[in-house]
Amino acid sequence: MLNIMSIKKAKAANAGAPPTSKTSAAQIRLQKDLADMDHLPSTMALAFPDPNDVFHFRLTITPDEGFYRGGRFHFTFTVPTSYPHEPPRVLCTQTIYHPNIDLEGKVCLNILREDWKPVLNINSILVGLQYLFLEPNADDPLNKEAAAILQSSRATFDANVRKAMRGGAFGGVTYDNVMVHP
Amino acid sequence: MKVTITEWHGAAYWRWNTDEDDDICGICRHSFEAACPDCQLPGDNCPPLWGECSHVYHMHCIHKWISQEASKGQCPLDRQPWEDKRA
Repeated sequence: MLNIMSIKKAKAANAGAPPTSKTSAAQIRLQKDLADMDHLPSTMALAFPDPNDVFHFRLTITPDEGFYRGGRFHFTFTVPTSYPHEPPRVLCTQTIYHPNIDLEGKVCLNILREDWKPVLNINSILVGLQYLFLEPNADDPLNKEAAAILQSSRATFDANVRKAMRGGAFGGVTYDNVMVHP
Repeated sequence: MKVTITEWHGAAYWRWNTDEDDDICGICRHSFEAACPDCQLPGDNCPPLWGECSHVYHMHCIHKWISQEASKGQCPLDRQPWEDKRA
């Protein structure tokens, strides 16, 4: 049935901007994404530094199991005005030891790159990032040294993760202390 | 009893023939009875479009996606090659 209310809501959200502008289309879709995720798991939190700017936000992941339990990891999301036809840009703001995140914070997650599709949403990315901390993937590495160690010895990898998470230095890199209880 | 009708108002509603009453476009997440984000008015100028794979989106939404290289010409839901379903 014709949903007059949804049209009215879309029009209200459009008010003040040209109705055909790409910015407003991306914003409406993004706000739908965010409205659909009112029950985030306790291991994830979103924050909007500027409440008027929905296109830039932060994500904090605090894994409660796996190699990275006890750590707190920060990401920034930048959503393009072409969203959802192009994916958000996601960066880790800390220097961490992870096979799929390089030392500059670039994230190797298929749905952020070649496998992005416009039917995915912000929640899909959150689930993907959470999964990277539970099951780092040695087959598709950005940090090749970390991936090689994960493949050869999970015990050594675990020890390296623990050391790096406490702000340790090895292999010529000083990592950020990311412990919830430093 | 004799009734004399002095005035009447017709009312009608319409919806696209999609599967469910509140079916939405998976790309923009607006209902099909609302326009896609690039259109102001719903209706014949902003119709839903089915693919041969049976998935349905606003015509403008799916064509915008398919025209991007990143789409590889695939349906966003099942990665099958997208082809407009012939009527």
